Amino acid sequence: MLQLLGLTAGYHGGTVLHGVDLTVAAGTVHAVVGRNGAGKTTLVHTVAGLLRPASGRVLLDGLDLAGRPAHRIARAGVGLVPQGRRVFASLTVAEHLRLAHRPPRSADRPGVWTPERVLGLLPRLGERLGTRGANLSGGEQQMLALARALLSSPRVLLLDEPTEGLSPELADRVHSLARTSADEGMAVLLVCPSPAQAIGCADTLTVLTSGRTALRMDGAAARADAAPLRAALDLTPARD
Amino acid sequence: MTSSPPPALELTALTRRFGRLLALDDVGLSLAAGARHAVIGPNGAGKSTLLNLVAGTDRPDHGTVALDGRDVTRLSPAGRCRLGIGRSFQQPLAVPELTVLENVVLAGWPRHPRRRGAWRSPAKQRLHTASARRWLETVGLADRAELPAGRLAHGERRLLDLAAALAAEPSVLLLDEPAAGLTDDGVERLTSVLDALDERTAVVLVEHHVEVVARFARTVTVLAAGRVLVTGPARETLARPEVRDAYRGTGPVPAPPSAPRG
Amino acid sequence: MGLLDAHLVPAVDGVAYGLLLFVVAAGLSLAFGTAGVLNLAHGTLYAIGAYAGAACGDGTWGGLVLGLAAGTAVAGAAGAGLSFAAFPLARRGHLAQALLTFGLALVGGDLLVQVFGADEPPVRVPGALDTSVTLLGHRYPAYRLGFIVMAVLLAAFGSWVLARTRAGAAVRAAADDPRMLAATGVSPRAVHLGVLTAAGALAGGAGVLGAPIIGPGPGTSENVLMLSLVVVVLGGLRSPWATLLAAVAVGEVQTLGVAVAPDLAPYLLFAAMAVALIARPRATEPPGGHDPSPTPAPDPLTWLRTRAKTLPWRRTRAKTPLGTGENAKGWDGVGRGTPASSPGRTGTGASLPERTGGKASLPGVALARRVAVPALVFGALLLLPGVLDAYTVSLAGSALALGLLAVSVTLLTGHAGLPTLGQTAPFAVGAYTTAVLAGAGWTAGPVQVVLAALAAVVFCLVTGPAVVRARSTTVLMITLAVGELASAVAGRLTSVTGGADGLVGFPPTRALWGTAGMVEERDVYTYALVVTALAVAVTLLVLRSPAGRLLAGARGAEARMRASGHPVGRYLLVAYVGAGALAGIGGSLTVTVQQYLSPADVGFEIAAFALLAAVIGGTTSVVGALCGAALIVLTRDWVAGAWPGHGPLLLGVLFVVAVYLLPRGLAGLRRGPNDAAAGGHALLPAPAAPPNDKVPT
Repeated sequence: MLQLLGLTAGYHGGTVLHGVDLTVAAGTVHAVVGRNGAGKTTLVHTVAGLLRPASGRVLLDGLDLAGRPAHRIARAGVGLVPQGRRVFASLTVAEHLRLAHRPPRSADRPGVWTPERVLGLLPRLGERLGTRGANLSGGEQQMLALARALLSSPRVLLLDEPTEGLSPELADRVHSLARTSADEGMAVLLVCPSPAQAIGCADTLTVLTSGRTALRMDGAAARADAAPLRAALDLTPARD
Repeated sequence: MTSSPPPALELTALTRRFGRLLALDDVGLSLAAGARHAVIGPNGAGKSTLLNLVAGTDRPDHGTVALDGRDVTRLSPAGRCRLGIGRSFQQPLAVPELTVLENVVLAGWPRHPRRRGAWRSPAKQRLHTASARRWLETVGLADRAELPAGRLAHGERRLLDLAAALAAEPSVLLLDEPAAGLTDDGVERLTSVLDALDERTAVVLVEHHVEVVARFARTVTVLAAGRVLVTGPARETLARPEVRDAYRGTGPVPAPPSAPRG
Repeated sequence: MGLLDAHLVPAVDGVAYGLLLFVVAAGLSLAFGTAGVLNLAHGTLYAIGAYAGAACGDGTWGGLVLGLAAGTAVAGAAGAGLSFAAFPLARRGHLAQALLTFGLALVGGDLLVQVFGADEPPVRVPGALDTSVTLLGHRYPAYRLGFIVMAVLLAAFGSWVLARTRAGAAVRAAADDPRMLAATGVSPRAVHLGVLTAAGALAGGAGVLGAPIIGPGPGTSENVLMLSLVVVVLGGLRSPWATLLAAVAVGEVQTLGVAVAPDLAPYLLFAAMAVALIARPRATEPPGGHDPSPTPAPDPLTWLRTRAKTLPWRRTRAKTPLGTGENAKGWDGVGRGTPASSPGRTGTGASLPERTGGKASLPGVALARRVAVPALVFGALLLLPGVLDAYTVSLAGSALALGLLAVSVTLLTGHAGLPTLGQTAPFAVGAYTTAVLAGAGWTAGPVQVVLAALAAVVFCLVTGPAVVRARSTTVLMITLAVGELASAVAGRLTSVTGGADGLVGFPPTRALWGTAGMVEERDVYTYALVVTALAVAVTLLVLRSPAGRLLAGARGAEARMRASGHPVGRYLLVAYVGAGALAGIGGSLTVTVQQYLSPADVGFEIAAFALLAAVIGGTTSVVGALCGAALIVLTRDWVAGAWPGHGPLLLGVLFVVAVYLLPRGLAGLRRGPNDAAAGGHALLPAPAAPPNDKVPT
């Protein structure tokens, strides 16, 4: 279970996140939606350790990860699919898989991911094993970023706009993969700009506005009536 | 034959290879002034490669790019822009330490009617600044004008990139996934900007966002595995079942048709 | 066959020499390509190994093995030390790290001379290898054949590790995107440490084994560094095979070339270099960009920085009791110069919104400030000779000449985004033009300055196309090669330059036509000050015009600029030529001030000083660069005077201190650490964001 308590963070002294509280239970998908500039990516970066929080706690099954270096957080079981994919340009797909594959040391991981299993789900990558990251298409890079995160068999999966630039079919596949991971017991934090993309697979939705939680609602309730969600997104002050 | 003007943009047999990967294979396209054309297809179909070849950031192995009947295949991106090809980027680019407004001024400069000597004439700079402000209003970033571009959020950067592309007042405008990463209201802003584009501009839109494509495009090219699957009127083409299959990418790579269609 | 026969021995020697260079260059390109450290101390690591080999080598196998173990271990440890020193600077870009390693190289070179003396110690190899074998009818040293075998094995092992192992993949991933690698669970810190340790061990091992080929001595570090840089530039970073080929080619030029055409050999290297740079300038691009997005993670040095804000003033007071009153005034002069950096800063973006927004408040006051403050500073500097002794006045003149060189570096590094170590080349062109003109009787100052600038412009028009096609640290390497080869030519072209003896005894410059030649230090100083002020004023005017923004665009969003129709390459060429003219004027002033000229005046050290001065000034501040140059000249000639023989050590320390304590230079001290993000630059202007990167929302 991932728990964020009073998380405050920002860049160059400008605070972007203001005391965000958020819980992602194991086995669920928690979607964070919000306008551009609401602080979604800052949130993900802070959890992953790419950004040091100014204050607040990041608890992974009770263990406080806030302020630890990114590689320790990754080893503690946080997998990141970053915005913009960020695959390694000079590594082949096979090298990505080999580098990222880290069999869990303890049996407490929700699912064990091996290169074989990942390739079974993402067969396109199997056809590109010898291709360098820079020469993959956008969609293939996204698949590879996903594979890279899954291969550490994480307890928490952070997906930052994983469907940006993907065709509808691939986007569906990413969402169903997120769902599958959650069903195996992973805690999945899914960030996307609009609720339309997340509403189908999210158990909980949070609307982030100017770095603060504007609304939290149950996924089922949102599917039944998305109006409050849209209202929270639209009625917020335009920009600060 | 004698009086018909040359197409605004004509691509002939464009082919581009990356190592063993055939990214584009014999792609042709002809657009008249005022065209509203979308290029769609599954990821990896070669859409971005196509835009890069047209914009000049990449050169084809074979084939030509012609602008108003003039072969520009050998020209640099800057040279093509000065002739009228403008573009937006999939990953938007701006000078982070200059303000949003200054970025648009820079983008509009080389094709501004009062560009001569503008680097030393404050009066001409003011003219440039006024034009740039209008473009910022068009894309809805006017209230961000004085902010350093590096402080913009990702979606706002995309709008800035759009303003930069528009500021050159191109005769052929290439838009590379302008809706990606935008919120719903950003997408709405984008569509209204697209609707208000100059009627003489030929626009090539690469986009996944189905509603944006359906609302904007009059003609569509479907690319699959680097080849033109079909080119035709938007409504009919999008409705064809094999296009739907290819677009939604039911297989890993839709096999290109053995014989060219459409 | 006769020709081949006669040159077989030097040809095989060339292979051994080339393989030695390959092993050294492999470490250099490994550290650069994957850890992002342009390690200017790499030659020093080799020297450590070579000295260890000489010290332990007693003609037995045991001695060789002991030397190998010691040399490899010490150099590896030194590499690890470099990693510890450089890693905190990683997010500040390549330039800060390169300067740090240069400072450490100066310190290390001084220490090596302290320990091993200034002589070249003899190197003994094991008896079994100290024989010769017969090779196609020629006797050839067995040791060199053995070395060839060793080097090939080492190279094969190294490329296997890099291409086939998980560790090798991690190393390459770290070069692509270190922060993403961290998010994948691999510590970039460990990769950095591993790479620099391995590179150090490689250089040290090469030093031990290569000592009989390139022996230890005071000049070893620089010689090896330059040759391996040439190899890396020629071979590029992409393919180890290209590097190998380049290394053997350089080795052949250095051996076979010298044997066949001793007069032409030095130019052969230059020609090969020029061909490589013009034919494939992009070959040396590092394989991936580093994530430039700044993080606010508390730096261990943050508190030091905060404290450093008041440092210059404290230093001023602390120095007063030590120096004479007059010298203290000298410091004061520097101190007073600092506020003048405001016009420089206003030109670099901080006030741009104000101007373009058309809401500049109180234009009269602003104008008065813009004119009055520089005028006051100029007046104060003009009065300096009245209060300083003759020696200090001539130092101030040298500082002005170096200052112009630093301004030209600032223009390229900070404004055009082309970090340069090669501005000594146009500087040398200007200097030699002036000296030769003076020797021919053309002593009028304006003529000398204008012709020096023109000569530098011509030189830059020739070299420019190769430089402006490259980006980022590659520029650093290419310009380094250009500058180094220019100074090599200056050393060899005896008929024009006087060779290593230099030029001396030419008539002094006359300030204007019809006046007498300037011999008094104060006259020379005033002349230098007026020329510098004019050149700086023109530079500032251009940078503050919208043209300055064109350069900012070329630096910050090149693809966007190109797509908007800007001929970015032409802008950069204009900047390079303009910076060359400035450097040429600086060179002319150097000759006028010093009244002699030797290749050392246009050598690599001067290039590094100019870069450091630009960095101390904050890389974008023109006036800051002048202050940085003054600080360096004071350290080199005045402070070091109190501790003779340790000038390099002090300068090395200055490099290290400046890199750590002044991340944004003097200009950064006047700005808050936070607002610098919007208007200023770190040591290296943030490279254009790689396509994979975004500023997080």
